[in-house]
Amino acid sequence: MLDQLGNGLLLGIIISVASVALSLLYGVTRIVNFAHGEIIALGAIMASFFSNLPTSRYIFFESTSPLGLSFELSLVLSVIICGTFGAGLELLVFRPLRKNNFGNIAVLVITIGISIFLRHLYLIFASSKPQDYPLDLQRREQYFLFDLTPRDAKIIVYGILIMIIFGLFISFTSIGKQMRAVRDSNELANITGINSDKIILYTWILSSMLAGTAGIFQGMINDVRWNMGFLILLLVFAGTVLGGIGTSFGAMIGGFIIGIVVQVSVALPFMEGHSEAKNAIALAIMIVILLIRPQGIFGKKERIS
Amino acid sequence: MKVSRKNIIGLSLIVFSILSIYLLNDEGPTRILVNLLAFAGIYAISAIGLNIHFGWTGLINFGHAAFMGVGAYTTILLIPHAAGREGSINEDGLPLFVAIILGLLASAIFGLIIGLPAIRLRGDYLAIVTIASSEIFRLVVRDQEDLTGGVYGVISFSDVFQEIRPKFLEELALRLDVSVGQLWVASFSWIVVILLICILKRLQNSPWGRALRAVREDEDAVRALGKNAVWLKLQSFMLGASIAGLSGILLAFNYGTLQVEMFVPLLTFYIWAIMILGGVGSISGPIFGSILFWAFISETDQLASIIFENADGQQIAGVRFMLVGVLIIALMILRPSGIMGKKEELLLDVK
Repeated sequence: MLDQLGNGLLLGIIISVASVALSLLYGVTRIVNFAHGEIIALGAIMASFFSNLPTSRYIFFESTSPLGLSFELSLVLSVIICGTFGAGLELLVFRPLRKNNFGNIAVLVITIGISIFLRHLYLIFASSKPQDYPLDLQRREQYFLFDLTPRDAKIIVYGILIMIIFGLFISFTSIGKQMRAVRDSNELANITGINSDKIILYTWILSSMLAGTAGIFQGMINDVRWNMGFLILLLVFAGTVLGGIGTSFGAMIGGFIIGIVVQVSVALPFMEGHSEAKNAIALAIMIVILLIRPQGIFGKKERIS
Repeated sequence: MKVSRKNIIGLSLIVFSILSIYLLNDEGPTRILVNLLAFAGIYAISAIGLNIHFGWTGLINFGHAAFMGVGAYTTILLIPHAAGREGSINEDGLPLFVAIILGLLASAIFGLIIGLPAIRLRGDYLAIVTIASSEIFRLVVRDQEDLTGGVYGVISFSDVFQEIRPKFLEELALRLDVSVGQLWVASFSWIVVILLICILKRLQNSPWGRALRAVREDEDAVRALGKNAVWLKLQSFMLGASIAGLSGILLAFNYGTLQVEMFVPLLTFYIWAIMILGGVGSISGPIFGSILFWAFISETDQLASIIFENADGQQIAGVRFMLVGVLIIALMILRPSGIMGKKEELLLDVK
């Protein structure tokens, strides 16, 4: 079971970053974003597109071919693209919907449409073949209790750093405070002179950049696939719901727990030979949490029935 | 007056899409049409079930694929079949109609099991729980290879269904140059669609049907009038689930094989697109929605293969799915009530 703990930590960090992003967006905009997975995948696919060599075996659609930039630069570029993409979604789709008072079920269904559209756009663009980054293979080493490659360890450290920075940002900066104000009450925030449209735009950008980062991490430990976002989306939902949807700190912990549970459950005696069903356990946990404590571990009580 | 105008628009769209199949396909347009009608009929049944959930009662069900899957797996595993890697044939089984009824019951019970705890949750939470349940169903079926055949699926079960087809279909199929098996699935599905619509037309205006819509509009008022809103929602969930189960069974007979990947969440969203296109809450809407949807899909496949020359099969299919996404977005923004729906009957905000 211990040898799975390292993998669990790794998946936990990734889901945690993605859950924080989803939860922030839900808190500020009240949108249950089914297209979140596709933003995660966008980060991974863009990084692969920028970093792979044009001559590599990765097939992109017809005239487009990978650019062969350095990996670090590719990461920065793809996170920026994710942020821009989030801003585009808000400005072109969700702000007009909000101005026209679309109900939240209508918006939910629209996010599903966006998700289906984007996912298959990736399929056309990047083909159905799994891709990976031009990184060397590394040997696993022992870090405390965990059995990880140096790159995995780096992902964990960077993931924790990102979340600390995010926590400081949301707690102490002016924009972070305004985001929390809009989350608590849009009307009250408006009365106190906060431009909620601007804050919601920033939220989309921040949430999409975090999601893209999670996608890059996921691409670094597995491979990059056109449908990777949808595969991880339900785990991200599980993490968000477990911690408390709309909370930041809660989603962090929730995502973390889900990642560890998914990986460690493989080592449980009754799961022997059933490792493909490991995600089912995380989803079952989410359902149970929704039934007994729908506000999650750290959420505030709210009417949800 | 207004309803008849909608009917005319809907019918002319259907006539147009069927004509377009004959105009755009040189080879075997009738075969393509029968294939389309088989899928359209099956998906229409499923959309009728979903319409009871969302259109009548206002329950957001994103796990419809699992209801279809439970029905299909129960029935198919109870009749003679071959499952799993070795595919050894299991000769003995229940009579087909007993198996179908048990399949419908299983779907209803599955609906009850999910609904019993989850039905009290608010709309968007119910959406998450149902999609998660449907993924759990898929993962478990995939995992339990001994029982369900796992990734290898189930085959060789279609004979019992084809044995009961009327003899005159064979002559008809020969004359039209289409597969008699699929012609039978298509005819059977559309008979079911028509029967369901007749039954639901009566149900809709019965006290029960009105109570369901009252739940959608104002649950508290229903409670205040002494009705058990939770039980009404559960009944709606079970009824819609067993209708979905029936469509799942027919889907398996149409493919001639039962694979767990048939019941991915994308199937659920197909049914959603059909329901919205036809008109949420409208009884005959799924017919229009389903035929138009499938005509749209079969035409986009051709279009895609013309536009993208170098694309492989999966990329061509990608174009189709992409357009389904666009269709959902466009409908929700431009005409959320679809072809046949009424705007005032549409629940778009969580209460």
